[in-house]
Amino acid sequence: MPDMHLAALAAHRFGFGPRPGELRLIAGDPRGWVKSQLGRQPTLPPAIAALPSAEEDLWAFGRWLVRRRMNGANAERVEDRAERQGITQDELRRLSIEDEFVENFRERVVRAITARIDAAIASEQPVHERLVHFWSNHFTVSTAKPAAIALPPSFEKDAIRPHVGGRFADMLMASTKHPGMIVYLDNWLSVGPNSQAAQNPRRARRVPGGGRASDINENLAREVLELHTLGVNGGYTQGDVQALAAIITGWTYERPRLRELVRENGGDRNGAALFEFDAAAHEPGPKTLLNRTYAQTGVAQGEAALGDLARHASTARFVATKLCRHYIADTPPAPAVARVERAFRDSDGDLRVIMETLVDSREAWETPFAKFKRPEEYAISLLRAANVRELPSNGSVAALTTMGQRPYAAPGPDGWADSAEAWLTADLVWKRLEFAQAYGERVGRADVDPVQLGEQCLGPLMSDETRTAIQRAESPAQGFALLFGAPEMQRR
Amino acid sequence: MLNRRTLLGASAGAAALSFPVFAFGQAQATDKRLLVVILRGGMDGLSAVPAVGDPAFASLRGRLALPRTLALDDTFAMHPSLPKMHGLYRAGELLPIHACATAYRERSHFDAQNVLETGASAPFARTEGWLNKALGALPRARPEMGMALSAQAPLILRGATPVATWSPSGLPDVNADTMSRLLSLYEARDPALANALESAMSANTVAMESGADDMSGRAGRNIVPMAQIAARFLKDDSGPIAAVMETTGWDTHANQGVEQGALARNLTQLDSGLDAFKTEMGAEWRNTVVIIATEFGRTAAPNGAGGTDHGTGAVAFLAGGAVQGGRVLADWPGLSSGALYEGRDLRPTTDLRAVFKGVLADHMRISAAALERDAFPESASIRATRDLVRA
Repeated sequence: MPDMHLAALAAHRFGFGPRPGELRLIAGDPRGWVKSQLGRQPTLPPAIAALPSAEEDLWAFGRWLVRRRMNGANAERVEDRAERQGITQDELRRLSIEDEFVENFRERVVRAITARIDAAIASEQPVHERLVHFWSNHFTVSTAKPAAIALPPSFEKDAIRPHVGGRFADMLMASTKHPGMIVYLDNWLSVGPNSQAAQNPRRARRVPGGGRASDINENLAREVLELHTLGVNGGYTQGDVQALAAIITGWTYERPRLRELVRENGGDRNGAALFEFDAAAHEPGPKTLLNRTYAQTGVAQGEAALGDLARHASTARFVATKLCRHYIADTPPAPAVARVERAFRDSDGDLRVIMETLVDSREAWETPFAKFKRPEEYAISLLRAANVRELPSNGSVAALTTMGQRPYAAPGPDGWADSAEAWLTADLVWKRLEFAQAYGERVGRADVDPVQLGEQCLGPLMSDETRTAIQRAESPAQGFALLFGAPEMQRR
Repeated sequence: MLNRRTLLGASAGAAALSFPVFAFGQAQATDKRLLVVILRGGMDGLSAVPAVGDPAFASLRGRLALPRTLALDDTFAMHPSLPKMHGLYRAGELLPIHACATAYRERSHFDAQNVLETGASAPFARTEGWLNKALGALPRARPEMGMALSAQAPLILRGATPVATWSPSGLPDVNADTMSRLLSLYEARDPALANALESAMSANTVAMESGADDMSGRAGRNIVPMAQIAARFLKDDSGPIAAVMETTGWDTHANQGVEQGALARNLTQLDSGLDAFKTEMGAEWRNTVVIIATEFGRTAAPNGAGGTDHGTGAVAFLAGGAVQGGRVLADWPGLSSGALYEGRDLRPTTDLRAVFKGVLADHMRISAAALERDAFPESASIRATRDLVRA
């Protein structure tokens, strides 16, 4: 017996909303439809497969820096003008490196954002794509940091996608070893004070703008504990942060050499292949983290520590809470959290089993509209409803930015907020409605009636008030705008 | 189709679209105004307000010590990128507060910002912001007593007291009729969406009048236009009496620069933003206090990457015509190695809650009881700092 109500819930709550006609396919077995997408996906969406590799992105960055330095004629002209205006060489150099770099990479980033949205719009595995977005937000690498601007797309492709439906421990390891994370949270600058590199500063790595790194940087270690594993109340101390920071000193990535860049035969290696353990920067000796002493040497020390963090009871609780908050309610129901937490522990962090437990929870199918869609999710659900196959090129990425959630650009390492409190504000609601109206007009085609489209997207979830409002619209375009702006499309 | 300007112009006579100002006509609003500017990321206070007179300063700061500064007093100076703020100091309208901190003593941005904004003594102990609670203690003379100059209200403004949000848009103007139909639908089905839409319609009225619809896409990294809009909202007869702005980019772990560089650019932005706000406030500047605060200071000494790491003691500023400035408020702990907190940070000696309570009590005239009970519970031992504002 087809269940259109559960089908609509499944499509919106676990996917990105249905494309026209999709609800009928789901209705035969809504739970089964969700569960069939929880495992690992053997192939990448075409839009994602076409993205450049991590190595190519890093090389493009490197080449661009080299070109800038070698571009003599241009440099002279700019320098002359700077001198007339009383700008120092130093000032000029810093300004141009930061600003022009960002400018240069904007187009590259827009292509990657478009690929991410296209994959979600076109996907026949939308539950899987939602999970990719969830985990990519849990392990945030953001273009908001100029030095990391090229890296979030390959981070998501290399460190997140292969492990969605796999093991949490593997995803944590892949994330912590990816150049994207290593650059975003500064670990490539972290040098053990008793390492060979610190003893002989000429061996230490150069830092941007001159000088050499010569000290431990705690950033990555702190966020691994606070945001990726145990959670802020997970029972660790500043001493544990320092210990983990020392444990992962030397975790860096292979940076292209000038000779390679000049040859311009772009690399196709992924982030995992670019990981490099720099023994010279590694703080020697055993370290004690969370009352356990790690006596391993080299990279094995950090691998052992991350393995234990991935299996820690606080990690199970923290991840279970976040998943239930994301899929069920801003204040997640405690019984569901407890079941998912137990599944995390019992399955040794098997993400497929964990999600199956969540999907099997009664609470996941109750209280429709408990969650307010985030702007990116909202936009994707409108585009799917509108039967669009690709993100319209004209200003769509800018529209997402205006709506408050430019993909890959979370403001900080804690990622995007996951509660209505953060998103249901006057200003953001206004901007969602501007978007709804703009796309209502764009898709206002003569061959679909807005009420029919509402039935195709929402099934029995569409309220009588919404149906009446759409029926009374003065034009199809206004009807689509009302459907897209309706509470049932804003929430899930 | 109508654009937003005609929508809002046309709405003046239509109760469904305009803000129900009449409903709040009885309570008399204070003429005092408050702007809070949050510097997210942890501003390096020893760069913004260097303690050049401290004997340990030059050697401790090493390559981050400024060769040239703007003098304040025997101990302190200001970064050369803050000339306008230095002018305010000389006019007695700027009060730098040094070696200050929240109750938080660890080094996570998120925890520290949480404590800064909730006014609690520990992170995630409360879910409402102190400014929201403080505004709730005033007679509700305005539909929304507070306003965030951002798409989302920051934690400091979250809570039971209704607040508005506004930020510039690059999207096409909306159709007035569609919005009013959606408002009716929301009123029938979804009160939270109805409140948000109604508030947005009201905020856009003020923004339109100040010409802010021309700023689409230009707000970006420049806080000047946002500061000007903040002033327009605060001056509006039915607008908020307190507003909050945020700036980011203060987390200078690497290569922060000295006279020039990333930090100097941020300081220049702050300096010009405050100056633009003052100009736009005009005569109301004399009734205004601006609080500029960050979640924590940074390590006293540079790190190996030409930056500074998360620290403790910080710098905050009060600015405004109502501020009793022209002095530095600091119980200076010194920078000798024995004086540093945990051997690495400026030791905090002033609790920021004392400053916030002082401003709320003496400027906004919020009762001590309300401050202790609502805005800063468990802070009875932290006495409000007096004489921050002019009598």
